[in-house]
Amino acid sequence: MSASLAPECNETKERYDNCFLKWYSEKYIRGTATNDECEPLFKQYKTCLSKALKERGIDQMLEDARADNKENDAEYMKLSAR
Amino acid sequence: MRLFSSNHEFAYSWDEVSTANWRKYCPWNDKSTHVIAVDTLARDLDAQTHILRTERLITCKQAAPKWLKSFLGSSEVSYVYEVSYVDQKAKKVTMCSQNMTWSDLLSVQEKVVYTPSRGAPGKTTFEQSAKIIALCGGWQKIKNGIEEFTVERFRQNAVKGREGFERVLAISREVFAEQREQARKEKMVA
Repeated sequence: MSASLAPECNETKERYDNCFLKWYSEKYIRGTATNDECEPLFKQYKTCLSKALKERGIDQMLEDARADNKENDAEYMKLSAR
Repeated sequence: MRLFSSNHEFAYSWDEVSTANWRKYCPWNDKSTHVIAVDTLARDLDAQTHILRTERLITCKQAAPKWLKSFLGSSEVSYVYEVSYVDQKAKKVTMCSQNMTWSDLLSVQEKVVYTPSRGAPGKTTFEQSAKIIALCGGWQKIKNGIEEFTVERFRQNAVKGREGFERVLAISREVFAEQREQARKEKMVA
């Protein structure tokens, strides 16, 4: 997997990424996933990452980007014609 | 404004491509060396639609020519915000990306879609499009120069991304086969 922008988060990130990839390939892609099993690991990684984003001043840039992406959410989160 | 688009067909199933896509920028990709980090910011599985939404922050490091640095500043690190939507039932991955750095001077918006190939079973179609707009005031000539440079850089990175991803796909297939073989052996012993 890829590195984190914050080296101090690499360890928790790797644990989460491995969990996610396993869940995605074995459950999600087969349509048998009911919930995201890796959420506890994600929380650990996110705690580390959020701190790093704040320290680097990236959190504010992210807020702006999120606001820009609202239209995509509206379009791609709805059920597509099947 | 500059528009960029490209299409490609990967000789791998949609399941394989959509899985390997999560490690597109891992060390197996020896082409896209300008991507130095990929962080997941948020991930949600919609209980009703089963659409998996993921927010990622992609960190890039790539040198810019001198003339451009006078507009953008000297930093070689830039950030891209990406939101992807995987619709497992419809077998469709949609990824929307935008630049976060220099966003007051330049807007780069990219969309990538992965779907199973219509004519070729077991293959996956990749469609990429991007819109590049220089936002800075001033001379049209400078804006054109910035846009021209950006679309060219985008094109080069797109080629590297495709080549690097082909390698990631090939290695992923090998690794998954090995893992399956290992699991089969373990089952026989048990």
